Amino acid sequence: MITPVSHVQSQTTLRRRRLLPVEGLVLVNDGDAVQSTDHVARADLDVRHLILDAARSLGISADQANPLIQRAVGEEVEEGTILAGRRGIGSRQLRAPANGRVVAINGAQILLQTSSESSILQARVPGEIIDIEPGRGVTIEIVCAWVQGIWGNHGLGDGVLQIVGSEPNQHLTADLIDISQRGVILVAGYCDERQVLELAAQVPIRGLVLGSLTTRLFPVAQRQPYPIITLEGFGQVPMNSVAFDLLANHDGDKATLNAQAVNPENGDRPEVIIPVKEANQSRPPETVQPFRVGQTVRVLAGLGKSRVGKITGLLPPSTVYPSGLRAPGALVAFPDQGEGRHPLANLELIV
Amino acid sequence: MTTPDKVESLSLISIDVGSVNTRAHFFDNVEGRYRFLATGAAPSTLGAPVFDLNLGVLEALEQLQEFTGRTFLTDSGLLISRDNGEGAGANAISVTFAGAPPLKVMTVGLLDEISLDSANMLVRSSYFRVVDSLGLNDRRPPEAIIDAICNTLPDLVVMAGGTNEGASRSVIRLANYLALALNLIPEKQRPQVLFVGNEKLHDEIDNVLGALTMLHLSPNIRPYLEQESFGPARQALNAIYFDLQSRKMNGLLELRELSEGQIYPAAYALGRVVRFLSTVIDTPKGMLGIDIGGLHTTVASAFAGELQLRVFPELGVGAGLPGMIAETHLPQIMRWLPYDLPEDLVLDYLYNKPLFAGTLPSTPEEMAIEQAAARQVMRLAIENSLSLFPPNAIYPMPGALPWFDRILVSGSAVARAPRMEQSLLMILDAIQPVGIATVILDQNNLVNAVGATAEIDPVMAVHVLESNSFINLGTVISPVGNMRGRGNPLLRVQIVHEGEKEDVVEIREGTIKSIPLPPGRVVDIYVDPLQNVNIGLGRGRGGWVRRVAGGVFGLIIDARGRPIQVPSSLNRRQETLNSWQQELITG
Repeated sequence: MITPVSHVQSQTTLRRRRLLPVEGLVLVNDGDAVQSTDHVARADLDVRHLILDAARSLGISADQANPLIQRAVGEEVEEGTILAGRRGIGSRQLRAPANGRVVAINGAQILLQTSSESSILQARVPGEIIDIEPGRGVTIEIVCAWVQGIWGNHGLGDGVLQIVGSEPNQHLTADLIDISQRGVILVAGYCDERQVLELAAQVPIRGLVLGSLTTRLFPVAQRQPYPIITLEGFGQVPMNSVAFDLLANHDGDKATLNAQAVNPENGDRPEVIIPVKEANQSRPPETVQPFRVGQTVRVLAGLGKSRVGKITGLLPPSTVYPSGLRAPGALVAFPDQGEGRHPLANLELIV
Repeated sequence: MTTPDKVESLSLISIDVGSVNTRAHFFDNVEGRYRFLATGAAPSTLGAPVFDLNLGVLEALEQLQEFTGRTFLTDSGLLISRDNGEGAGANAISVTFAGAPPLKVMTVGLLDEISLDSANMLVRSSYFRVVDSLGLNDRRPPEAIIDAICNTLPDLVVMAGGTNEGASRSVIRLANYLALALNLIPEKQRPQVLFVGNEKLHDEIDNVLGALTMLHLSPNIRPYLEQESFGPARQALNAIYFDLQSRKMNGLLELRELSEGQIYPAAYALGRVVRFLSTVIDTPKGMLGIDIGGLHTTVASAFAGELQLRVFPELGVGAGLPGMIAETHLPQIMRWLPYDLPEDLVLDYLYNKPLFAGTLPSTPEEMAIEQAAARQVMRLAIENSLSLFPPNAIYPMPGALPWFDRILVSGSAVARAPRMEQSLLMILDAIQPVGIATVILDQNNLVNAVGATAEIDPVMAVHVLESNSFINLGTVISPVGNMRGRGNPLLRVQIVHEGEKEDVVEIREGTIKSIPLPPGRVVDIYVDPLQNVNIGLGRGRGGWVRRVAGGVFGLIIDARGRPIQVPSSLNRRQETLNSWQQELITG
């Protein structure tokens, strides 16, 4: 059985491809250094058009009107510009009702693009541009420490990591938030108070990394102006110890929180990126592997959720769990609290 | 059901790729009849970290090799050949697929209630999400329609409109709007177009759209005002579906080639089985099939060979749970829990599950939450399918389900329940059937395989459906009508087997009762309503019900009324839910 994987890497080289949803303009060059919030490409989205019927405006048939169209596809026009008709006083004419660009002509119909919203593509990670795909996007490379999350509120931010408390199960409460945290990314075990999230926005902090968040705070978290990432999901679940230790080692270091949504199709997940010096850079490890004894795994669900341990034995499909289900499983030894039996479906590799 | 003669049958592998699991089923000829022999299963590998669905397929096949001792895989790949010898490979392969997120589709038609309705019906029978619909009555200016097409960027546009003797100018006008929009979309991102309208316009439609994008012309789904015909269009839609998904999913193209075109959306396969049942079982009632998946749920019904098929994309018990949560109030879940669990804990479980869709419940409490969620997913699917069932079906009362003769339920959430009474109760609580119906559980997740391989050898469908690979949970009698109140006598039932009368059993309102009747045994029963309720014999009318088949739970009288009321207070709720389950355990 192929293991699902979460990465907690103290040093690795990441590549991130950023692509526009439609064709557009790349704004950076190969070799440029970019920050996470830099714009790397732009495209026109949410376009608005006007269909202008030259035949109707000129009071003639479509066949007669077509030769009288005076603008070509691609031309920019200003409001009042003559689009079709004969020149001269008293001639009927079709004029552009607004500034725009002629994007299509079909018979006597002229399609004018009057406005669009530019869609800006952000780098979302700091690093170096190592590849350009003209009109589509870029690839960025960075050497960093890296922690993958499981849920993000879509935000993006940079700041200095600050660990709240000293344990991965630290309950983040309002009394732990103060003005000294302005500009930092807070790291804590879990949060179950709406007030905490709102107070943090007032400080304002630059981001929040949690083990978990209670589900009732889901809509509140989505509204916050700063990025929020959970590593374990929802509830009052502590942060897994491997991720906590790594983040604690970088207490005080600058980090980027890319709280993008999980996308199973392309593997996007929210992530914490902590740039490090290129002393010993390496590619992310091989991730496609089956479960086997000796692997470090995290419990994804059920009893012991978020605990990290080592597989000491594999169990057959006939193994019965307290829920009554039978499924293949593993014996997992936890550093502090003995051994547990877990279905393989509830485990993932931590590498 | 008629049983075909012994056949010189093929050995078959059927691969079913779902969003969570990939399964490889093996069928072979045993003493002249097809038998389902084994299943290998593995987690699906469409997404991270593998991004190639074939790794999951290979794992499932390797497991199948282990279970059967038969060699399916060699260095040169999967052994599929018509002349494979015994002990190695298989003679044929079929594939069903439901693993991917739905594709985006825009539907275009003339009148909302006619061609646009038909176009929507067509696309909702597969894994598509309708992102916009355009009809003649659309009040948006043409510019806004073009903007909508450009901004939603559908994968496919399905265009209906005009009977074969009907409208043409309006259809061409809509096609021109579409052409304008297509002109504005970069070539590589343009949606394909499936035209299923007035067949006389094929040339004109080709002139307007053919040069702009990949255009598919299919027979009219509404050739006459009163007639819908989805068959050829569904096949065209299936081909487009796989073409589009193959561009997004690594490995799907190879799987298509391996199956030599015997690849179908899982929903289509379910539909085939349900329609088939309705043609071989002689009854005025319908057949109902429901497949509850991790990402999607499918409802299929058929009456006298006419299929109604509806896929609910992104409504499921895994990654599809947000679809259920969006349409559900928490008490609709809580009411099915026989435990005193805090609401927050239940919510946390429901929100975590889509993040880790393949995980399993590890405690009885988690199992109960998951089963409650499965009930609600099926309930939503059924409620939203009511308009799908034909108006000329027989309904006991307005707003109720029509009478169904067989109810076939598939999907791991129901089939993998640790105890079979849990499966049965999930089905009854969610679907709330009325009248007399036999409930069949697809315990081995075979229905898609049967539907798909029926294209290769239709006899297989008959043999496997008749075998014990599908579990007959029992015949359920569910009276409906105005009832007096919980605890009042509702029905008297007497089983008569070969002239031998068994004791009369009296059923009280609000209860569920299992009367032992082993699988394979067929009896007559006499039903005597004690209130003005209908079991399918008419309001307040009793009488003989002939040839009732037994099952795991025998004859089940579901006297809980419709809709089923669960007490709101915790103690009474626990007591009620436990009593229903206990009754099925003890019979």
